[in-house]
Amino acid sequence: MQAWNKVSRMPAAAIKKMQDEQFTKMLREEMAVRHPYYRELFKENNINLDQIKGVDDISNLPFTEKEDLLPMEADLRYPKKFVLEVPSEGEQKGKKKGFALFGKKDTGPDPSDYKFHTLYFSAGRTGKPVPFEYTHHDLRNLKEAGARAFDILGLTRDDTMINAFTYAPNAFFWQMFYSTVDTGSTALQAGGGKVLGMEKILKAMDNMEAPVFICSPGYAIFALQTLEHFGFSAENLERVVTGIDYAPMETVGKMARLMESVGAKDKRVQRMYFIAEAKSGWAECDPGYGYHTNPDHILVEIVDPDSGAVVEEGEKGEVVITHLDTRGTVLLRCKTGDIATGGIVTEPCPNCKRTVPRIMGDIERKAYHFDLHSSDGPVQFNGNNLRKMMIARDDVLLWYLEIDRHGGQDALNLVVKGVSGSDEGELLKSLEEEMKKVISVPLTVESATLDAVANKIGLEKFITEQVIFDNRNL
Amino acid sequence: MEKWEKLSKMPYKEIKELQDRKLRAFMANQIYLYSPYYSNLLKELKIDPIKIKGIDDLRHLPFTYKWDIAPTDEEPQKAKDFVIRPDEEVTEKYGHLAKMSMTGGKAMVEERVYDFKPVHIHFTTGRTAMPTPFVYSKRDLDNIREAGYRLLDVFEVTPDDIVVNCFPFAPHLAFWQTFFAGEKMNVANFHSGGGKIVGTKNLMDAFEYLRPTVAVFIPGYCYYFLREAVKQGRDFSSIRKIFFGGERVPPGLKDKIKDLFKQLGAGEVMVLATYGMTEAKVAWPECPSHEEYHGYHLYPDLEVFETVDPESGEPVGEGEEGEIVYTSLDWRGTAVLRYRTGDIAKGGLLLEPCPNCGRTVPRISSNIQRKSELKEFSMTKVKGTLVNLNNFFPLMMGHPDIEEWQVEMRKRNDDPFDMDEIYLYVAPKENVDREKLAADLKQKVLRDTEVSLTDIIFKSVPEVVSQLGMETELKEKRILDNRPS
Repeated sequence: MQAWNKVSRMPAAAIKKMQDEQFTKMLREEMAVRHPYYRELFKENNINLDQIKGVDDISNLPFTEKEDLLPMEADLRYPKKFVLEVPSEGEQKGKKKGFALFGKKDTGPDPSDYKFHTLYFSAGRTGKPVPFEYTHHDLRNLKEAGARAFDILGLTRDDTMINAFTYAPNAFFWQMFYSTVDTGSTALQAGGGKVLGMEKILKAMDNMEAPVFICSPGYAIFALQTLEHFGFSAENLERVVTGIDYAPMETVGKMARLMESVGAKDKRVQRMYFIAEAKSGWAECDPGYGYHTNPDHILVEIVDPDSGAVVEEGEKGEVVITHLDTRGTVLLRCKTGDIATGGIVTEPCPNCKRTVPRIMGDIERKAYHFDLHSSDGPVQFNGNNLRKMMIARDDVLLWYLEIDRHGGQDALNLVVKGVSGSDEGELLKSLEEEMKKVISVPLTVESATLDAVANKIGLEKFITEQVIFDNRNL
Repeated sequence: MEKWEKLSKMPYKEIKELQDRKLRAFMANQIYLYSPYYSNLLKELKIDPIKIKGIDDLRHLPFTYKWDIAPTDEEPQKAKDFVIRPDEEVTEKYGHLAKMSMTGGKAMVEERVYDFKPVHIHFTTGRTAMPTPFVYSKRDLDNIREAGYRLLDVFEVTPDDIVVNCFPFAPHLAFWQTFFAGEKMNVANFHSGGGKIVGTKNLMDAFEYLRPTVAVFIPGYCYYFLREAVKQGRDFSSIRKIFFGGERVPPGLKDKIKDLFKQLGAGEVMVLATYGMTEAKVAWPECPSHEEYHGYHLYPDLEVFETVDPESGEPVGEGEEGEIVYTSLDWRGTAVLRYRTGDIAKGGLLLEPCPNCGRTVPRISSNIQRKSELKEFSMTKVKGTLVNLNNFFPLMMGHPDIEEWQVEMRKRNDDPFDMDEIYLYVAPKENVDREKLAADLKQKVLRDTEVSLTDIIFKSVPEVVSQLGMETELKEKRILDNRPS
């Protein structure tokens, strides 16, 4: 990766030129040479890389689907196919002698950049976790991505923070850890509710008088809602940085309201977007201005999720990742299953003026788009909208939805636990009314105990909570 | 911090001079000025820090006990008083650092003050007391990294190894010491977070994917993990070394572990032990040897170890049994003086060079009766007798016929005024004669703990594993005290 103060001010045309160079180099010198999977794929499909002159030609290359990456029971080492082979010592050219002031000192690939250093996994929200190998080169990039995110968020060494991202061997937690350590801010690496539990996290926030709380959106909202119950104060809290799980704008509004209601000093909410496939996460300077990507690290395309065609700038579509400067696990046109509702834009950020491409709008989960069968025929149901609706409500503490099929027809069952003091009957009734406006399949709404809902959604058990369960076994 | 290569070859005389010099400076320039607790204590007791000329003078200072630091409901911020902090609260104008503003300006003073800022936190794992935070400054992180490097150096781990860290993730020393060690040694790694985080099956998959050469474990979970791996016919042939932390490793358990690794395709695996404590902010390595125990190698430029009579508090001689007393040297963040660990070093403190590796740094004997991990239970009155429950560990862990076990203390009829009862849950190995095993255990428990068991209850391995919380708790629950208070 390059110097951030340079990249973050580059005009769009210069960024495009830089990406063209990086992309063709990555394709020809890395993927075609030492990437077992793509080398084979290019050969099998007779892909002539000489015809790929830059980023604009990328649509001539095939996508990588998530399923392509999954480890198999019969061959646990299968994901190694996506790992760059370490170049032999012989490939490293001797240092150019003589006057090195002019021209690049191309000494060939350095084997130490390719040597395995650490292993992180994908969050495994939709299936088996996928291993991603990081080399020293990748770790440097992860730290750089973390430093850039802190720069965008405006976090400095003077901040005190609780990193309550759920611990798992993944890039989300570790990027945040490296950011705090390298910045030199005071941080408790709490490991999330699964490790410390809510009470201890809130107690630490109170005792450390921490103004910054870093947490997944669902757990952060739950923390703010239960703060009073545990008897802790949030009077020093100034901002919540949320990530790991998708945080639609409704989350931002709800958190701000909650922060105000618990007497926080300020009510600033900022979002981060992590994708395991990108081997790092991106931050948003302020809600609504888009996630600021690192164009010298990852190339982001937005495509039509069905046809795969690249959509226009600013149009909704699926996020597709191509690595421009990675070692270890390397991906080309990997479909992430995430939908960016505002697509990608390349004009400078009107808020912070940084010029890097930004992923706009909310991130939605493709897996939450369901085709349902009703008595009137097929019905589309977007679970992401339900999630937004439920987040926006101030009377809901926890919830989940189950989709079942009875006699060829689908039915929904919404289970909720209201906030303490809410009128349960009123809550169920209003939810049913609201749901029936947007969905025409049979629906039941019921309440359950806190423990029952928390157990079902995996609160304090999984990296993020699962709120929609499709029991149809399709 | 000294260079380890130089320090580990220094004659003891020079090491002591180094410690004397460092202690003098630490007392006068850091503790007395910036540690609220000790500053007040020294003033109260009218002890002039200048008069502490060296480590022999430590005995003039009072001991620090766990309860002096542990936060309480009344004083939740107690531990903060042990943090070296030249901030406005402690010294109005940053003490002597302020003088620098005349030459270096305000910014320079701020930079120097920032050097003391806590950036990382660990907590103690106590069950009865509230967890006590121990904080690290940026400079302290260099210390824990260096300690980790030394630990791996003693274990002869090199940058060519691949280390899998199976300690449960928590803001605790064990996980983070392993992380920082790997960072400094620049060794390839996988910090799994343990079975609780990734699940035992995924962890096994990771072993087969990565083919690590070194694995780091809590002994109890390791034994369970390896047995499961054998059942599933896994291939762990790449493993060369395994090191343990968190609790004592009885010799019998070492043999069981080695045997399991053989069944998993590995050769002669070296089983290594570490000794660490949150209060010291680092862990120390036991000198590697297949046959004998040569003690844990200490870092004399980072701490002073004393061994004292646990009753009188008087220092005991070199190599004599005594309680380990720890003093921080040259740390920032949380620093403690003469901290009574409660751990008993059976073979005491050893100052002559290690007969195994030749390193000259002081050593603490391998045979440590750990109190810190099981403090609340270690000396417990059962049936009116003071019982040392630590003794269950070597006996049960090392027993060749036992797969898993748990001890539970109850009151008869759940009545707080009734008799104490002590139950032993045992999951025996297959084809073991239960009657013989029960008789053997009754006799050995009586011999080692001086209490007779109320009953021995045989259960299946999954039942005991579930009772222990092997995959759900940070650390398995070996001894349960369910007596109503």
